[in-house]
Amino acid sequence: MTAVLPTSAGRELSNPPSDGISNLRFSNHSDNLLVSSWDRTVRLYEASANVLRGEFMHAGAVLDCCFHDDSSGFSACVDNTVRRLVFSTGKEDILGRHDAPVRCVEYSYAAGQVITGSWDKTLKCWDPRGASGQERTLVGTYPQPERVYSLSLVGNRLVVATAGRHVNVYDLRNMSQPEQKRESSLKYQTRCVRCYPNGTGFALSSVEGRVAMEFFDLSEAGQAKKYAFKCHRKSEAGRDTVYPVNAIAFHPVYGTFATGGCDGYVNVWDGNNKKRLYQYTKYPTSIAALSFSRDGRLLAVASSYTFEEGDKPHEPDAIYVRSVNEVEVKPKPKVYPAPPP
Amino acid sequence: MSNLQTDQLLQMETTCGSLLYELQIIWNEVGESDAERDKMLLELEQECLEVYRRKVDQANRCRAQLRQAIADSEAELATICSAMGERPVHIRQCDQSAVSLKEELKAIIPQLEEMQKRKCDRKNQFLEVLEHIQKISNEIGRSTDNPSKVVVDETDLSLRKLEELHQQLHALQKEKSDRLKQVLDHLNTLNSLCLVLGMDFKQTINEVHPSLDDSEGTKNISNDTIERLASAIQRLRKVKIERMQKLQDLATTMLELWNLMDTPIEEQQIFQNVTCNIAASEHEITEQNTLSVEFINYVEEEVSRLEDLKASKMKELVLKKRSELEEICRRTHLVAEADGAMEYAIEAIESGAVDPASILEQIELQIARVKEEAFSRKEILEKVEKWLTACEEESWLEEYNRDDNRYNAGRGAHLTLKRAEKARAIVNKLPAMVDALVSKVTAWERERGIEFAYDGVRLLSMLEEYNILRQEKEQERKRQRDQKKLQGQLIAEQEALFGSKPSPMKLQSGKKGPRMSTGGASSRRLSLGGAMLQTPKPDLSHSTKATPRLRPNKKSDLLSHNQDDSFAALSAGRRGLDVAGLPVKKHSFNASEIESPMKRKPFSPVSSAMLSKVNNTTNFLEDLNKVHGGTLQKTLPSNNTPLTTPSKLSTVTDDDENRTPKGMPIHMPSTPSTISVHMQTATTPAPATRPTTTATVLFGAKTIEEEYEEEVEYSFEERRAGFVLPKTLIKTIVQA
Repeated sequence: MTAVLPTSAGRELSNPPSDGISNLRFSNHSDNLLVSSWDRTVRLYEASANVLRGEFMHAGAVLDCCFHDDSSGFSACVDNTVRRLVFSTGKEDILGRHDAPVRCVEYSYAAGQVITGSWDKTLKCWDPRGASGQERTLVGTYPQPERVYSLSLVGNRLVVATAGRHVNVYDLRNMSQPEQKRESSLKYQTRCVRCYPNGTGFALSSVEGRVAMEFFDLSEAGQAKKYAFKCHRKSEAGRDTVYPVNAIAFHPVYGTFATGGCDGYVNVWDGNNKKRLYQYTKYPTSIAALSFSRDGRLLAVASSYTFEEGDKPHEPDAIYVRSVNEVEVKPKPKVYPAPPP
Repeated sequence: MSNLQTDQLLQMETTCGSLLYELQIIWNEVGESDAERDKMLLELEQECLEVYRRKVDQANRCRAQLRQAIADSEAELATICSAMGERPVHIRQCDQSAVSLKEELKAIIPQLEEMQKRKCDRKNQFLEVLEHIQKISNEIGRSTDNPSKVVVDETDLSLRKLEELHQQLHALQKEKSDRLKQVLDHLNTLNSLCLVLGMDFKQTINEVHPSLDDSEGTKNISNDTIERLASAIQRLRKVKIERMQKLQDLATTMLELWNLMDTPIEEQQIFQNVTCNIAASEHEITEQNTLSVEFINYVEEEVSRLEDLKASKMKELVLKKRSELEEICRRTHLVAEADGAMEYAIEAIESGAVDPASILEQIELQIARVKEEAFSRKEILEKVEKWLTACEEESWLEEYNRDDNRYNAGRGAHLTLKRAEKARAIVNKLPAMVDALVSKVTAWERERGIEFAYDGVRLLSMLEEYNILRQEKEQERKRQRDQKKLQGQLIAEQEALFGSKPSPMKLQSGKKGPRMSTGGASSRRLSLGGAMLQTPKPDLSHSTKATPRLRPNKKSDLLSHNQDDSFAALSAGRRGLDVAGLPVKKHSFNASEIESPMKRKPFSPVSSAMLSKVNNTTNFLEDLNKVHGGTLQKTLPSNNTPLTTPSKLSTVTDDDENRTPKGMPIHMPSTPSTISVHMQTATTPAPATRPTTTATVLFGAKTIEEEYEEEVEYSFEERRAGFVLPKTLIKTIVQA
């Protein structure tokens, strides 16, 4: 009877990838879940039914994936290639290539473009509607100060986090140069960047158990709101262990967010009230990726070793889909110390 | 040929004639007698005849044999034909003369052979069919007499019989397939049952018949097997129904318990698959493992857990009700039943001897009864209160009257004067009050037939005692007055003698000793006024009502213990001593938990030096935040003590990494009930100034450390993918 663990951790999907999970995302239209993995596959699950719907085999490890619509998606591969995947036919075509492994891929509904970031220190935009062939699909190449580590989109804003703690904020309508060039307010390497659903800023996590909450508004008042907080740490016998924060996922309805770290914990935070709302029970290994479903009722958790301590034996990679209770993600109203008489 | 024969005959005739002639010559020569000659000739002729007869006989026999052979053949042919159910092919022609016997035989033999061949074929067919029949019969388990040997009834090999046998075979085959289907059906049912019950299907069918487990081989389909299968199904179904009923019982209990305890939905959802089956009938439960032993045990565990929970909640409820009862009793100055009763009740609940529900009911009843009684006592109690306050005033007045400096014009003297004036008025009313009370109480007692008890003491006796005391006092007073008068005379005499007047005070102070004290030293019941307010219950001594005057001292004791409370004291000091007791009370339960880094005398102001010390203490605020939960946060913002001023805070959070906005209070108020934890936005040891006391370890630190040495940082993914920046690129980075 294995019903005991999954109930607390969520339902474990059958047929998980056989190697590290690099990312997972829920569709914007259904409860389909797209998962990329180091085992060179991109898998499409129907999370609510726990069914593996399709599988794409690539030449190298897949570092990221995203949906186009419910019938197709994109993948970023270590073999420098950006691919378009058609789920209904199971076919894939090559959108184009970078000069180095492609780290992340995003699809912008606002611009109708695919944006990829690579370790070749560039950002490329692609038009997936163009006929196959790089010269037709490539919209532009934009050099970055360093290798791109994480991308996030909200509306027309694109936030690019690179090695060397650079953060560039672009406006998709004018990609010629960054709208803002920033340095990460965290002292360590950036792991993940995600925009607030309301479009006012972004959260950025580092390898040193910390998350910074930043705002796009450059005015003094706007910047006064930003702050950072510590998380995913463990204090034991006088030793504080600090874990990398691998994943951030915002709740689409409440704007609260979940973080996942190499400590195997998933925490839910209320950024406005600066409170932790919930901590889920510990997962077997590092949290590699997180995604809320479109209505925020489901949370997909990739419990998968992220290679933080090199090649070593580790727990099997698994995807848990848990149903999210409102209490866990709904911001708690502020309580004033002394209610006015 | 015939020529040759006739020649031979002719030759023979000639030789016979020549031989006869030769004989006649011999006879003539010999001179044989005619008689002898005749005799010899007769002999000769007889011998010839003999030879002829023999030959004819032989031929005759041969003809008979031929005829026999033909007849035999024909007979066999006929038998075969009849056996094969065919019309005989050969019908003997009547005109025998036409064909010779030999020809006839020659004609009949191939027919016979043909028929024999056909018969053999037919027999083989029969054998084949019969073998099939036998085989199937064996499989079905219908044992024939000699199962090993197939016997064909040679007399009836007709097509009809064959057809019949074929039909039989078909019937058997059909039966076999039916049975097979039945077996498969049974197996399917069994499989689904096993799935639901969480049993090993293979083992189950192996027990029924080992051949059933074999997926390729033929399955045993005998009656016995089917019966055993059916009985296995029956058995499993019975088990299933039993388990289902058990599960449904459990589910019902569970639902009841959920309902009773308002179990949160998420907890309920885990057992959705149990409760959804609550009204399902046997065939509706098909989900795998729903009725397995493990699952039922699992559900059972949950139910027992819920029951335990319920029991503990019940216990809590009983305790609550009990304390409610006590509270009511206390309020109405009734004496609740022996305190031991509660412990007894709880013990009983724990041991399971008594149903908590019944105890609850009893307590409820008790509460109702007490409430009713309280209602009837209300009027009298109000009067008692009034009387007691009057008594208090009386005792105060007495005390006051004893104070010889009472008319000294000090601060607030006019107030005391006023109070005394009022008290006197009240004291004057006291006897009437007591009388009214006595009559009321007696009426009440008469009406109910029970004593009116006040904190366990009969009120009437209290009143009586009071009256006695009062009379005593009256007498005392009278005596005093007399004495005073006497004294006055004495003084007057002395004055007359010595010309001076001793102070009356000295004499009075000497008298103070034997005077009755109003404190708690004497018997409670005998004491007057305020002392009477003390209730017999020891636990009440902590309540604010019991010892109002002690409060400030007590509080200061408490305060001196820890830093935490000193915050409250600070606020208390501002608000005035009288109110201070309450917040302190609230905090004091934390006192033992907190080890404050430093101690401070109570009521001493928080100096700025002190504050800086506070700030220097590592993670002091964090610790407080962790340890206190909500208490500190409650007091701090509302009192606006120096600690929360933003400027001071900035010294705490001056770590540039966090950039906490100035003016943001770190400790936001929170209700104690919420589980939400504040984000740790406060300082952490920066890597450059890592403190020696607590080591901070970055997870995967080794690799990150290496990274620093390498100068080029790599992410986990880059390291895993073995991605290395080209040399030129590194150079440009270094240059940049």
